[in-house]
Amino acid sequence: MSATSAVSVNRLTKVFKGGLGKGAFRAVHDLSIEVKAGEVYGLIGPNGSGKSTTMKVILGLLKPTEGETSIFGVPSTEVASRHSVGFLPENPYFYKHLTGRETLHFYGSLCGMRGEKLKQRASEMLALTGLEDAAARRVGGYSKGMLQRLGLAQALIHEPQLLVLDEPTAGVDPSGSRIIRDLIIEFRSRGITVLVTSHLLEQMQEVCDRVGIMARGRMVREGRLEDLIAVENQTEMVLENASPALLAKIHELVKSEGGDTRLLRSGHPRTTLERLFLEATNETKKP
Amino acid sequence: MSDAPPTSAAARTPPVRFSPRRVWTLAMATLTQLMRMKILPFLLLFCVLVVGLGFGFSVINPEQQLNQLKTVSLAALQVFSIVIGVVSTALLLPKDLEDRTLYTILSKPVPRFDYLLGKLLGVLMLIGAGLIIMDAVLSLILWTQQSMLLDAALSHLRLEKQDSPEVVAQVREIVARQGLTWNLHWAVWAIFLKASVVTTVALLLSCIASSTLFTIVITFCVTIIGHGEALIREFLFQPHLGSMAKRIATLALAAICPDLAQFDIVDSVVNGEVVPWAAVYDMTGIAVLYMTVYLFVTHLIFVEKEL
Repeated sequence: MSATSAVSVNRLTKVFKGGLGKGAFRAVHDLSIEVKAGEVYGLIGPNGSGKSTTMKVILGLLKPTEGETSIFGVPSTEVASRHSVGFLPENPYFYKHLTGRETLHFYGSLCGMRGEKLKQRASEMLALTGLEDAAARRVGGYSKGMLQRLGLAQALIHEPQLLVLDEPTAGVDPSGSRIIRDLIIEFRSRGITVLVTSHLLEQMQEVCDRVGIMARGRMVREGRLEDLIAVENQTEMVLENASPALLAKIHELVKSEGGDTRLLRSGHPRTTLERLFLEATNETKKP
Repeated sequence: MSDAPPTSAAARTPPVRFSPRRVWTLAMATLTQLMRMKILPFLLLFCVLVVGLGFGFSVINPEQQLNQLKTVSLAALQVFSIVIGVVSTALLLPKDLEDRTLYTILSKPVPRFDYLLGKLLGVLMLIGAGLIIMDAVLSLILWTQQSMLLDAALSHLRLEKQDSPEVVAQVREIVARQGLTWNLHWAVWAIFLKASVVTTVALLLSCIASSTLFTIVITFCVTIIGHGEALIREFLFQPHLGSMAKRIATLALAAICPDLAQFDIVDSVVNGEVVPWAAVYDMTGIAVLYMTVYLFVTHLIFVEKEL
């Protein structure tokens, strides 16, 4: 185990006992992961691949059948390991009778914070997640995106060094999703380690330094994102304001090169639907 | 937020110990949640209606009037406290699990025992607050009614020319014994203790059960059995009664269910009997013992529970 590992999962196996007449179910099988301090690590995989189970074991909510997990060197089975971790579960709900600010005060108090420090920290987190205007409203009236951002605020309230985010953008509209991704990028810039799962691969591609792909409880691929997605034998050039004459010259040059070199495609690059959506919805907001 | 990742966090991470402040935070959040669900005002309204009903019966004498008022009111408080304890507790833990609120709480440095104790304390505070309010209201009604009935009885004696000092003293003594005394508060305390024990049983069952309905039904079954522990003991001490299997099953029931008859002093209070201090100490001690054992078992189950 590295001294600077934020999360260490060592040969983890998790088997759920079956009910009456049902066999046991192996959710995770001999899984090992090292998440380095300060990086954003994405755990991706189809439904039922064992991502959430792995996260729960890391957080001490489930006990491993075999193997061990630790957070900054402290075994997950010890409550003390939760000092340095903040968790946002998938589709979180909070006590809906509390206001946003009361919710943060509640979670801060659980972490031993109190007084002016807690109030100040809660205000900072509300500002960071853009919930200042909704701070006095009861959580029962929050939209899904607001709940998700409140979830991030509560996860950060005690200044953890590690954030564990389970499907943080699930069910959130593109604008809310953009805000959450921007926050993840900001956390990285502040030195916070992020372990995140998502089905939305394009979004993961945008924020992750390294990814692990899980299937049927096993790690099937892991590495730096750039290394995993790079097509080694292809080269991409994007030109701006290129004249037809210049493009014709490039075509000719490629043809004259011979050998295996081929021009596979050329044309106008397309924007993403998400970018188009964000531009269009921001235009309607302008006076 | 710190900018530098830690390098030797394991070495400087302090162990997490039991924290009364954390338990208090959880208890207050539970109490706030239940208060804002308007459970308490609804049940208090129910109790006030029942107390009002206590005035609706035909009355022969002042003693009977006060007796009926206490009987109906204390019965309403018993029902109120047990229903609120069982239903609130049966709802809280499964709801936290279903809403994933439990994940966000237990992924903070919160030992599971602190969580359980906080939830229990929150419900007991709600029951306690309800009983204190109802005790105050009942005391006021009883004191007012007692004064009115005494005045009416003395006027009647004067009209009948029977207001000799001995008769007046006797009427005063009867009305005072059936009116507001410390015994009424001890009866409310006994009701609180009984509700506390039943609530702790509900907490234990909610850790095992897969549904809220199951917890509520089984807790009410335990409550009913708990009131008949004397009958169970009587059966067990008769060696010629029942098969071995029946006797083992009965013994198991007797061991699992609390003896709730230990807290039944309401009838004595209604009849104007004095509750001795020793009885109050005994009841309190028994309740604390039951709650400690049930809470310990609950902790053993909850600490192993996979969430």
